[in-house]
Order: sequence, then structure tokens, then C-alpha cells
Amino acid sequence: MIDKTFVERTQRVRLPNGVTLLVYENPANPTVHVSGALRAGSFLDPQNQPGLAQITASMLMRGTRRRTKVEIARDLEDVGAELNISGNRFLVRASGQALSKDAPRLLANLVEVLREPAFPEDELTRLKQQVVGQLRRQQEQTQVRALERFLQLTYDRTHPFYQVPIEERIASVEALTVDDVAAFYAQHYGAATLIVIVVGDIQSAAIEGIVTELLGDWTPGQPAEIAVGRTEPRREPRREIITMRDKPNVDIVLGHPGQLRRTDPDYYAAYIANAALGHSTLSSRLGLRVRDEEGLTYGIVSRFLDPGLVDGPWLVSLTVNPENVDRAIDSTVNIITSYVEEGITERELEDEKSSFVGSFIVSLGTNAGIAGHLLSVEVYGLGIEHLDVLPELVKSVTRDEVNAAIAKYIHPEQLLTVIAGEYPPE
Amino acid sequence: MTDRELVEGREVAEGIVFTDQEGGIEEYRLSNGMKLLLVQQRTPRVVALMVLYHVGSRNEAVGHTGATHLLEHMMFKGTPTFNRERGTQIAAILKRIGAHFNATTWYDRTNYFEAVPAEQLELVIHLEADRMRNSWIRDEDRESERIVVRNELERGENDPLRVLDQHAWAIAFREHPYHHPTIGWRSDVENVPTARLREFYHTFYWPNNATTIIVGDFDRQHTLGLVARYFGQIPRSPHPIPEVYTKEPPQQGERRFHLRRAGEVGIVQLCYHTPEARHPDIYPLALLSRLLTEGVTTRLYQRLVDAGLAISVQAHVTEFRDPGLLEITAVLRPGVEHQRVEEEIIDELENIKAKGVRQDELVRAQRKVEADVYFARDGALNYAFALGESESSADWRWFLEYVPRIQRVTPDEIRRVANQYLLRDNLTVGWFVPLPASGPESHQLAEGENR
Repeated sequence: MIDKTFVERTQRVRLPNGVTLLVYENPANPTVHVSGALRAGSFLDPQNQPGLAQITASMLMRGTRRRTKVEIARDLEDVGAELNISGNRFLVRASGQALSKDAPRLLANLVEVLREPAFPEDELTRLKQQVVGQLRRQQEQTQVRALERFLQLTYDRTHPFYQVPIEERIASVEALTVDDVAAFYAQHYGAATLIVIVVGDIQSAAIEGIVTELLGDWTPGQPAEIAVGRTEPRREPRREIITMRDKPNVDIVLGHPGQLRRTDPDYYAAYIANAALGHSTLSSRLGLRVRDEEGLTYGIVSRFLDPGLVDGPWLVSLTVNPENVDRAIDSTVNIITSYVEEGITERELEDEKSSFVGSFIVSLGTNAGIAGHLLSVEVYGLGIEHLDVLPELVKSVTRDEVNAAIAKYIHPEQLLTVIAGEYPPE
Repeated sequence: MTDRELVEGREVAEGIVFTDQEGGIEEYRLSNGMKLLLVQQRTPRVVALMVLYHVGSRNEAVGHTGATHLLEHMMFKGTPTFNRERGTQIAAILKRIGAHFNATTWYDRTNYFEAVPAEQLELVIHLEADRMRNSWIRDEDRESERIVVRNELERGENDPLRVLDQHAWAIAFREHPYHHPTIGWRSDVENVPTARLREFYHTFYWPNNATTIIVGDFDRQHTLGLVARYFGQIPRSPHPIPEVYTKEPPQQGERRFHLRRAGEVGIVQLCYHTPEARHPDIYPLALLSRLLTEGVTTRLYQRLVDAGLAISVQAHVTEFRDPGLLEITAVLRPGVEHQRVEEEIIDELENIKAKGVRQDELVRAQRKVEADVYFARDGALNYAFALGESESSADWRWFLEYVPRIQRVTPDEIRRVANQYLLRDNLTVGWFVPLPASGPESHQLAEGENR
């Protein structure tokens, strides 16, 4: 089993209408995980209707032409199965699990809600109320407020990573109608960009038969193109404060446009460049200094946010007591600056490589972990064979390549800093 | 050694005796008292190790609340073998091998865990055995870690749900140490002396107060040899492990509180005292909590969320070593009165007390429990966690018996436990009442310098 490659173990089928199915037999446990993705995320929101893509995705589970929301839920709950669908920036994502014997039922429900949503008026009213309530609740959260503001200040309104201000989003959601949702669905949903991943204790041939039967005659639709230029690095550093009462923990975000995409040839060099600096609070440079030595924060990490079809920001996020804000920011900026000046050490490079390879193996220990990797290579068109060469690919990254990535992607002189919480202290 | 050679009482490696097995779980006992659980899984190339100490915030008292958790942090600071100076810092070593690792503290237990590529099992066994008795607990480390943990506490204080829940436990439990949160009271976290942490370590971190769990892809005999070599040489504690004898007396009359702080949405929380994990009533109570809120077909989801009164509702019954709580928490839709939601919840509970539940909703809740147990076995670390929680509250057999016990519950039993536990005199009610933030938020813009 160890020696079998992903290419050998994964059954990949492309239906004439564009549906891509990947099936991976994993007999470790009598369960099955199903993942789905379709390119109908919020980057397709009309300028004046932020939230439409997410509402449309969330409406799928709320009633079809054949069954009500409660009937669908009961059908799944009867066998303890779970299915969730939600929209993110670029994709509508489905994720479900069930006992293996119930895989056909899980798939049938997934396909029914994808193909035959009815968008009942009363359900839309309820969903809008819940979404508005959740948006209000999120506004209590310092990390949400800091990141939202960071994205607003970093991107133009037309950019997929821009975050529409909250009151505008709420007003938009409240105004959405069934016609808006149905029109968005008609325009953007279809077989052309649908990817279905099934991992677990199942038979590939049987799953392929079921999916072909259920999805083979779905119309392809017009796949949405994502054409966004790279975001140019910005300007001068600046700082912004959002003062919130009764928030004894302060969230800080520091960053700038990231310019990295998942398909870039230097993706793994950039990954390592970031990882040695801030992938882990417990073991990366930032965490070792700001948390372990200086004791200023419970958590400090750096990351490229969602580097996919479009480049998002690179940012550092940390949490501190209000009294420690200035010291923590100083220390963080100093560490980033000296990292950019010195580059990665040989030891850090070797550690990050072996860490990546070991962690990759561990992540293949669950159905969801395997499904996540398969979905990723499929969404970004990397090919299943990418997973077979991945450890070697990472091991072959050189110190020069990482240092070039540091110079290209990390710019301490351009940091935008947003601080949210009970700050300045009274 | 083959499966057939596993005979109860037989020594299978130096100082390790096989004691029991069922459902793929093998139990062993070391001569120093440590319990060892082995579960071989078909998941290739991954193995998970968990060392679980039977010490949690339940073992603390005023003055050193949060000490168990602070100590957990100190356990990453090093030993004479694994430390920063030698380039063998614990987190660095674990990062290098790609481990998914951490540690957590809860009411009844503290756990340390690693999921690693199978060939790294010896390293993590060595590391965990080493820090069981050799951890440095030094003043200079504690000084910085105190602020780290205080920031962790502050992160929790930012969240109204968390703060409300901590208030509810502190009010529902007057005498038993579930009264205080695992993170501890702020002033205790800030002031507890290093010596107190050391005392905690030397009281509770012994093999005879630990269960070690190994799940995944490993060779049994080889692994037993590793456990014998590294854990086997640690002596048993020179003293008995102290027991917690404090009991919470029955509550006599409803308790209520309001928490008023800046916030956006209101919350209502209802808590009823319930028995410990080993009590037979825990099964009907667990099902009752699931059929109240788990899934869109459930009673309170329909009555609160679908009716537009709440944006979420969740019921949960604790399965702890000592008696705990059944908690029902509803996050209100903006504009809805707390009183209204509280009444709706109570009315639904009264409904169940008077008329019981339907067979079909019970069966649905039972199926979900059954599926969840299988989902929990997907992945070595997930399985180790499930077994660890079971060991913490009762023992590993409790995990194996959970589904059969759940399947035997009848609608009549649900109604009986509802009438027995969901009583006004046994109830604590908390309201989170959001206050508007003071004035408009300030957006101070500072061009130029970023310091």
C-alpha cells in the first residue's frame, strides 16, 4: 500500500459536460468523505450586491424542486450523514461525510441540491435574518475587524480580496430577492467547473457509475473566468486603530499585497520562505522570539492568505495585551527586517523541508486530508502526479531560491498595520 | 508475538503485562503503574502518541487556579536532553519531523500528543517519557510564559459566549472545582509562584497517574520494547496521587445572572446539573441534548432558528469524571428579547417532560451518535483523542460501550431523565446583554512611520 502512487490509487474521470470526478479507495475506516467545488464564489458578486454568491450557495440546502429543507436534512440525519455547502472567495465548497454504505445517499443529496434548488421565498427570508445576525456577531470579534479593515485598505473595490464594509454588506443581503439568487444560479452554476472528490472505504467503479448517472446530463453552463492582474506592492507604511470596548485582547494584522499564486513556479520556495519566518507559533522565527523568549503573545503567525488562482495578501497576525502592542509590533518588524536582510539559514531550510515532508505524510492519515490534497491539485490544474512528486519537489528547493522568494514576497518597509481591541489602553 | 499469544497477565516486554483487550483496543500495564493502550490501524505510515495525565483544573483551588494549564505550557520549555541550548528544543524537534503536535488542558486531564510519520515513533516516545519527570520549571521561563498565558486568557475574555459560559459554571458550581475555568482566574495566573507549579508537577506527573495511547501503523512487539525502554525506567510516585473529594451539594433553587458588556448580539444560556460520565443517565441525557439542537430537524432549531428568534442554538451535556451540566445556549437574533427565547426553551423542555419524544427523532439522534463514533476513528490522532477523553472521564471501555448503551435508550427513559434533571431548582440561567460600544469607533490614521 505504501508503494502505490496517487496516480495509481486515484480514479480520475472527466465527463463530457466537464464534471471531474476523483475517487480514492481508503479502506482504513468504514466511512466516506465527499468534497465538491464549483467556481461560483464571491468574486462573481455584482458590485452592488455583495453577499449574493454566499447567499446563493447557502440556499442550495434549503429546498429543491422535489423536497423541502427539512426533508433533505431528515434523509441525511436518518443515517447520521453530514453535508455542508458554503461559498468562499472563489469557490462554492461542499463537504460531507457518512458511513461508507451511505455514500450513494450522500452523493444523491449533494447532486439534487446542486442541480435542482428551488430557492423558496420563506427560506431566503430566514437565511437573510441568520446571515445578518452572524455578520453582527462577527463584528464583536477583534480578529475579524482587524482583517476586514486590512483588506479594505489593501485592495481596490473590484478586487476579489477586497472586503465590503459591514453596513453595506448587511444592506445588500437584506435587499436580495429570490429573483436575484435564481439569476445568479442560472448564470454561474453548471457542470463545467464542478469537481467531486470521494475518499473512503468505497469501490471506485460503483462511485463512478453513480456520479455519471447523477451528473452526466447536467448542462455545462458558462464557466466564469478569473482575470485579475497581480496586485502591485504599495506605497508607504501606515497604521490604523479600531478601538473596541471590553476587548482585553488586541488583534494586530501587519502585511501587504502578497503577489503569490498557487501555480507559480516558485510557490514552494515562497512557502518555505514564509514558513521559517512564521508558519508556526511554537517553532518559527516570529514565535520563537515574540512568544517563547519575550512572552508578548499567545499566538503569532505569518502566511500568504489563500494564495490560489489570484494572489492575496501576505500578512502577520498576532494577539497581545493592550500594554504590549508597541513592543510586540517593534519586535515583529525587527525580526522580519533582519530575516529579509540575512535570509534563511541552512538549518531553517532543512528543518522546513523535512517538516513539510513529514507533515504531508501525516495529513494523508484521514479521508478529509487526502480529499483536501486531491481537490487542491485539481482546482489548480496541477495534475494528480503532482502529489507523487511533491516531497521531492520540496526537497529540491535551494537556499538561493528561498532567499530570492524572501526578497520578492516579503517587504517590511511596506507594512500596513491594523490594531483592533481595547487600544490605546485607558 | 501473535494475537493468540496475548494472554491476560502475561509479561509481553520487560515490565509490561498484557491486561485486557476488546474491539481492537489492547490494554497493558507497566510495573510502574502506567496504563498503555495500543490500537493498530490500517492507516498507512502514520502513528499517533498521546500521554494523558489524570490532572486538570479539577485538581486546583483558589490561589493556583490555572496552574495545571500554566504547567502544560512550561512542559515545552525543555529538559536536560531536549532544550534550546543543545538545538533540541521540543517544538523544533517536533517541527523537524513534521509532527502534528500540541498539548491541551481540561477539567479532568492534561494531554500531550503527536501524530508523526511511523518511523518517528521512537523519538516521540523518548521525548514524552523524558518530560514526564525531567522538565525544567524555571523562574525565567515562567516569567515570559505567564504573559503568554495571560494573553490566552484575554483572548477568551474577548468572546461573550466564553465569558458567559465561565460565569454560568462559576454560579452553578459553588463548591466543586468545576467552579473555576481551566484557564484560571486572572490574578492567579499572574501571581502563582513557580514553586507551586513545580509542586504540581511533582505531585501529578508520574507513570501511575498517566495513560499512554498509541494508535496507527506500528509493529506491536517493537513498540512494546520502546515503551519498556523509555517509560519503563521511570519509578512509580513515592506518594499516593491525591484524590479530589469535594462534592457539589444539590442545588436548591434557580440561580440567575446578567452579564452586561459591549457587544452586538444577546445570548441566553440555561444550565442544569447532570451526573458524571459513568452514570447510566448520561446516555438518555446525551440523546436528549442531541435531539434538541443537532441538525435542522431538531426541536429547538425549528422553534428558535427557523422561527427567526435565534441565529444559533446548541445543547450539550458534559461527560466528565464528576457531575457536570447540560447546557443550552441560544445566540439571539438582533432585536429579539431574552425573555422570549428563555420561555420558548423552557416550554419545549416542559413539552418533552409532559409528552416525551417520538421514536423517529430518537432513532435519528442514535444514528448520529453511531456515525460520529466512526468519524472519530478516521485518523490515528482523532482516535487517540476519543480514547483519551474516555480514559479521562471513565476508562477506554466506556468508549466501546457508548454506542450499545446509546442504542438501548428508549423514549420513556428520555422522558424520565427530562423530568428528573430539567427542574427549576436545578437551573442556572445566564443572559448576555450587549451594550452598545461607546461612541463611534476611532479610525486613527498615521501616515508615514510604522514602528
